[in-house]
Amino acid sequence: MATSYAPAPAKVKRRPEMVTERKIHPWWFLAPAFAVLIVFFLVPTVYNFVYAFTDWSSFKSQINVIGTDNFSSLLENGTLLKSLRITLAYAVMVAIFQNLFGLLLALFLEKDSTVNRAARVVFFIPVVMSALAVGYIFQALLKPEGALNQILSFVTGQDVTIAWLGSTTWTLVIVAMIHAWKWMGLSMLVYLAGLKTISDDVMEAARLDGASSWQMFWKVRFPLIGPAITFNVATALLGSMNGFDIVQATTGGGPARSTEIFNIFVFRTFGQGLYAQATTMSLLLFVVVAVLAFPVIGMLRRREEVL
Amino acid sequence: MKKFAATTAIVTALGLTLAGCGDPSGADAGASAPAEWADQNADLSGVELTFWAAQSSVSVPEEVAAAFEEATGAEVTIEVIPDSYEANVQTRVATGAKPDLAFWQPTPSMLTAINAKNNLLPLDGAPWVETMEPSLQDLTGILDGTRYATLVASPSVIGVYYNKDVFAANGISEVPQNVDELLTDARAIEAAGTDAFFEMAGDGWGTQWFPQMLLADDAKAGFWDEVNAGTKTFSSPEMLDAITEYDDLITEGLFNDDIKTATFNDQGAALLAGEAAMVVQNNAYMTQLQAMATTDELDASIGFFPISREGTTATSIPDQSNAIVAFNTGDAERQAAARQFMSFWMGEGYPTFVESTNAVSIVTGVENSPEVPQLVLDIHATLTDTAPSMQAAAVANPDLWLNLVDMINDVKTPEDVAKATQSQFAELAKAAGVAGF
Repeated sequence: MATSYAPAPAKVKRRPEMVTERKIHPWWFLAPAFAVLIVFFLVPTVYNFVYAFTDWSSFKSQINVIGTDNFSSLLENGTLLKSLRITLAYAVMVAIFQNLFGLLLALFLEKDSTVNRAARVVFFIPVVMSALAVGYIFQALLKPEGALNQILSFVTGQDVTIAWLGSTTWTLVIVAMIHAWKWMGLSMLVYLAGLKTISDDVMEAARLDGASSWQMFWKVRFPLIGPAITFNVATALLGSMNGFDIVQATTGGGPARSTEIFNIFVFRTFGQGLYAQATTMSLLLFVVVAVLAFPVIGMLRRREEVL
Repeated sequence: MKKFAATTAIVTALGLTLAGCGDPSGADAGASAPAEWADQNADLSGVELTFWAAQSSVSVPEEVAAAFEEATGAEVTIEVIPDSYEANVQTRVATGAKPDLAFWQPTPSMLTAINAKNNLLPLDGAPWVETMEPSLQDLTGILDGTRYATLVASPSVIGVYYNKDVFAANGISEVPQNVDELLTDARAIEAAGTDAFFEMAGDGWGTQWFPQMLLADDAKAGFWDEVNAGTKTFSSPEMLDAITEYDDLITEGLFNDDIKTATFNDQGAALLAGEAAMVVQNNAYMTQLQAMATTDELDASIGFFPISREGTTATSIPDQSNAIVAFNTGDAERQAAARQFMSFWMGEGYPTFVESTNAVSIVTGVENSPEVPQLVLDIHATLTDTAPSMQAAAVANPDLWLNLVDMINDVKTPEDVAKATQSQFAELAKAAGVAGF
């Protein structure tokens, strides 16, 4: 869009504002927040790099630097790559389900009626619930003798005893759906905000041009909520790469480790007292997330450029 | 200039923090101090002791601790460490937190895992050892010739729990005397329409007992010593055959149909209800049965027998709720008090302990609690002839059960199970500094 006119006057105004701001808020006002950030975030991250190159364990007191031993033995061990593959599959599925559910909800509940407002609150409740509680509830619902099978038995008139969390292929999909269910309220909210920013003029113009409701969605509204999609897809994808609680509560990584995502693998290794190996794994996860984050966000950003 | 100052401050702060980098659980110490064993009732007014217990064992020390408080004036706080107990205790100790006493699995691999040499008090010369049943005195709790843990209760064993009614209904009047007889009975029961065995691959951890039971004679002959030395592995015929036979028996259909999803709870319910004839388990299962049925019901319907390929050797697997350790906290007064509490527990306090927990006595001269089910006495009686479990004798404790669950779910072959377990064993042994790994 060549007709950008807003930034120019803003630029002129900005400088004096910044100067006054600096006077009102000296830099050391940042210090408390910064100190917390350093102690609880920066230092552990630095340690994460340091300990990955040592033999830190519960077995002895000394911590010796052993170079890249941990990395090479991890790469030789097939479990790491398997966990990585499962984590990626999980993250992609969560991103798809969560955005699909969130977008559908946002479209259904777009009008500001009383019923819709109440429904939005209801769908947002899982977001503020404890992830472990959500996991344990679903685990109970999906047991072979759980509520879901009882309902199915009642409806079909036969004894249904499907082990919903028992398949080594499909359990990952079900757990991803549970994760998406928990977070879909947040996606819905972001999509709703996105939909609200579309001006009525644009919609009216489209209507006057004879666009069908499908065309209005697909050609006008969907492209215009680009920033919301970027935010939602990126947070869902990268957030679920770091997932742990829901999977731990529903399956604990099972059956037969088919849902053993990276953090569960790290947790298990840490529990054995192999702290350095666990640190190495979490460092690798950090690297993988970082490597993924830039292209994904970059790609989604480029999509927005049509705006 | 200001910016420079800020940057310098941050860099310095970071540098200082990094300089503090090191294991906070403490430098080498402890082992050299000679153990002093105070009189069991010596006055300890004003001394506060902390005792770590797991969810499953928290009530065990309650009464004996109360008796100790009354006798000495010390104050004992029992703190529950959430499950998984072992991992959480290890993590806390690694970050510098230590109790005075704790429940701990007294096996060499778990004593290594908590770095006993630095973190625990040596118990050499403990006055109660010679009052213990002779077969239990040196059974466990010892690492590299030093005693770090003491048994307080009858240690856990792996064996077969069976439903007496199901055995009777199938005309089995005598318990099998070796694995061949066991399998003959199992096939007869299965043919008559009842599941011979009930396994719990849903929770998973119980899967490791069956292969260890098949391995018992080899374990007794020193199989684990050779694994520790690196001359044998989990892929050696002894272990691989045990895993393969377990897999074959599952394929043959001698186990419950819902083996992949069944849990520890299901296992208890199934045997009590007679839906399955036998369960291969350790003493944790006994506790589970006691929670589900009365002593009379258990005495009437559930029995126990040890078994191995060639005979009736049980496999010993001391666990967390069977033994206690004292920590090297650096506070001489509390360390002496912790040792005194151990002497009291195994001495004057022992009758209180046995009575309050309905336990079998392992101290000569102290009577069993009258409430002990016959089953517990039968299990305790097998301790005269035991083979060591992997947990008791291997230098590291790999997740054999996780790999067995993979096998039951058809994603690993027995060969894969052996290989994966061996590789984890080697990794842990290397971290523990075992020669040759």
